[in-house]
Amino acid sequence: MITATASQKSKKSRYLSILMGITALVGVSALAAPAQSQGKNAETIIYGNTAGPGTLDPFVGSSTVDLEVMHHIFEGLVGMDANYAAKPMLASKIDVAPDGKTFTFQLRKGVKFHNGKEMTAADVQASFERYRKLSPNASVLADVTEYSTPDPYTFIIKLSKTNAVFLDVLKSPVYPFVVLPAEQKDKPAREVDIIGTGPYKLAEWRKDSHLTLEKFDDYAVDTTGKPADGLVGKKEALVRNVRYRFMPEANSRIAALQTGEADIIANVPRDLVARIEGRPDLEVRRLLACQQYFIVNTQQPGTDTPEMRQAIRTAIGVDDIMAAISRPTKRSHAMTIPGGEYYNGDLNNQYYDQKNPKLAGELARKAGYKPGQKIQLMTTATYPEFRDAILVLSEQLKEAGIDSEVHVIDWATNAANMQSGGGNWNISSTQFCSNPNLGPQQWKFMVYNFPHVKNDGTLDAAYDKFYTSQDLADRKTAWNQIEKQVLDQAYMIKIADTGLIQALNKKRLPSFDDYYINRFWNVPLK
Amino acid sequence: MLRLITFRLAHAVPILLIIAVLAFLLMQLLPGDPAVLMAGEGATPQAIQEIRQRLNLDQPLVRQLGTWLLHLAQGDLGSSLQLNQTVVSAVAERLPVSLSLAAISLLITVPAGIMLGVVAAYARDSWLDAVAMAVALIGVSVPTFWIAILSVILFSVTLGWLPSAGYVPLSEGFVPWLLALIQPAIVLALFQIGFLARMTRSAMLDVLDQDFIRTARAKGVVESVVLWKHAFRNTLIAVLTVVGYIFSLLIGGSVIVEQVFALPGVGRLVVQAVLTRDYPLVQGTLLLFGFIFVLINIATDILYLIVDPRVRYD
Repeated sequence: MITATASQKSKKSRYLSILMGITALVGVSALAAPAQSQGKNAETIIYGNTAGPGTLDPFVGSSTVDLEVMHHIFEGLVGMDANYAAKPMLASKIDVAPDGKTFTFQLRKGVKFHNGKEMTAADVQASFERYRKLSPNASVLADVTEYSTPDPYTFIIKLSKTNAVFLDVLKSPVYPFVVLPAEQKDKPAREVDIIGTGPYKLAEWRKDSHLTLEKFDDYAVDTTGKPADGLVGKKEALVRNVRYRFMPEANSRIAALQTGEADIIANVPRDLVARIEGRPDLEVRRLLACQQYFIVNTQQPGTDTPEMRQAIRTAIGVDDIMAAISRPTKRSHAMTIPGGEYYNGDLNNQYYDQKNPKLAGELARKAGYKPGQKIQLMTTATYPEFRDAILVLSEQLKEAGIDSEVHVIDWATNAANMQSGGGNWNISSTQFCSNPNLGPQQWKFMVYNFPHVKNDGTLDAAYDKFYTSQDLADRKTAWNQIEKQVLDQAYMIKIADTGLIQALNKKRLPSFDDYYINRFWNVPLK
Repeated sequence: MLRLITFRLAHAVPILLIIAVLAFLLMQLLPGDPAVLMAGEGATPQAIQEIRQRLNLDQPLVRQLGTWLLHLAQGDLGSSLQLNQTVVSAVAERLPVSLSLAAISLLITVPAGIMLGVVAAYARDSWLDAVAMAVALIGVSVPTFWIAILSVILFSVTLGWLPSAGYVPLSEGFVPWLLALIQPAIVLALFQIGFLARMTRSAMLDVLDQDFIRTARAKGVVESVVLWKHAFRNTLIAVLTVVGYIFSLLIGGSVIVEQVFALPGVGRLVVQAVLTRDYPLVQGTLLLFGFIFVLINIATDILYLIVDPRVRYD
């Protein structure tokens, strides 16, 4: 056997020391460089958002991420004020005929598109025509019989039947009715040039990375004397650029805020808030602008009778669900927000948070429920708050003697099944953000289509009355009936008002106002 | 050499065809409808159906597959359903990010992994071996996202040495580019270093036990020459194979790191495409990945020729 001599051992250990040294050097050398300063300056607000827009074609844009960018670039004839009421934006004056069928818009003069061209009634008409051709929301224009432009600053829409809330339809921030240059009329969906009349124009959009808006120097500020209010009024870009960084990971967004690489960040998970709250220069804000519901499939055996749906609703207690979900929540039975013109106080409170498993079990048996019959609960892990609500529901049903089966699938399938009614589900959960704020006309599609409501004469009549009543008091009465019917028949079961947590650097953004989407006009940067 | 490349490329054609068909069929097996996602939550059934027709998603499956293969034969990978751009341009936009990240990560992985593996094998059964393998084990075992988050908290938030997230193109300067990528590259390299170190150690141990090493030492050959010239060179085939495999993984498998560090790479593109059921984008990207892997394999085969003169491809 050959053994190593002392000199060989010494050589070997010396050699090992050198090797270890090189290894360590390779490991640390890369870290020796100082961090770069990332775009922190007085000219650019940096917003760390969860994702980037899927499209900036306003007529097909519906996600909050899309809309937050679009409302800086594009403007419509009307827009929403801080209380979500319809107010003129590109229109200076709106006349509604007594029969509620003819709407005349006088346009503001001197409004320029980002390409330098002045906006006229021809652009407005072309935009409505494009909308009708390709927007998924085009059905709301089904009653339009005629557009006309008697002069460059007047636009008239005529309807075939009375629509008392047509201006409320036009204020919708989802699939917004904005004005594009007439040359964009024939551009296919998602292929439009990003040219609007807003206070910011698109400067750069790098998918999956960032998007930069730049101040539009020729922006026609609304000088009619109205202060900035919601999405309307006197809007001014006070900074040169707004940079949206797309940061899907919450920890990265928080780190960016802490290091000054972002001035404001969206969607901070509740369990990570503590990392921000100790810092005097940072501020956490909780916005309750959404509502979460259980959606009950009225066409699926097991929940196809009102009696069984009501039994399920009776089993539900919202406190446990609110404790489980990872967003800020607030108890509320209503389908509108307090302070809104259709909010009806405690009128339909009796359907909320019944939390009576014993009675639920009795009602279920009376409704023909057989032990062992499983209610199918469909949810997704993409949105933990939906999944957690469904998991608690499953336990609450068990307590009432109602068996259930939970199916956790991806959001794409969950959303498609909810829309189509397929996939053998009885109950799913989702959240609505614009609908509660915007009122009855915005709810209509959801309350019919997600629970797949058919042949409900009471609901149909209430909506007819709503659309044809010129008097607000009558429309409120109609809405009360709609809300009562939806909650009583347990088409949808309200869980809570919900929202998001966001955080900002209050030294950099000392006067940033919360709204249901983030706005960066009239926001100074220190 | 040219014959080898031509042969291997020709060999890749049926493989790529199988990948193409499998990618198409696997995407169709997934539930969910891209038209519903594109239309948004308030869309009417008619609007969804119109989108389906516009994208030819209402055609029979066989016809859709046939159309796709026909376009493929003409070099057309199609267009993304969501991004309003062709698959090739969507990938080309993001490939520099993934290649940059993979290249830097590989530059860290290879010397570090080889050094650790060689040290461990050379100091076999000593405390150094134990430490080196413990480091390798930690690299392989600890979840990448956890290391990434801790790394950001330490190096970006606490020490302020490195940016926490985001990508800076090379065209905007070498230093900003490197600073943006060095942290994710190290995090990504940690797993690969552990993997390469363990493989290198294993290969080195086999060689160090050979008679010719004992003979070299008996002849009084300098230790560094024994280690590198006699021992390590004989492990190069195994090491190269692992490095080629690691490079393939680094290009396509860095989704978590791209997510945490907000890097607009190909990994994120594919995941997003799957989630939004962007069929052409997933299919096209998988096919491009397949082609890149074939190229890496060919490059590895050529390197075999260089590092081991005994290798011949007849």
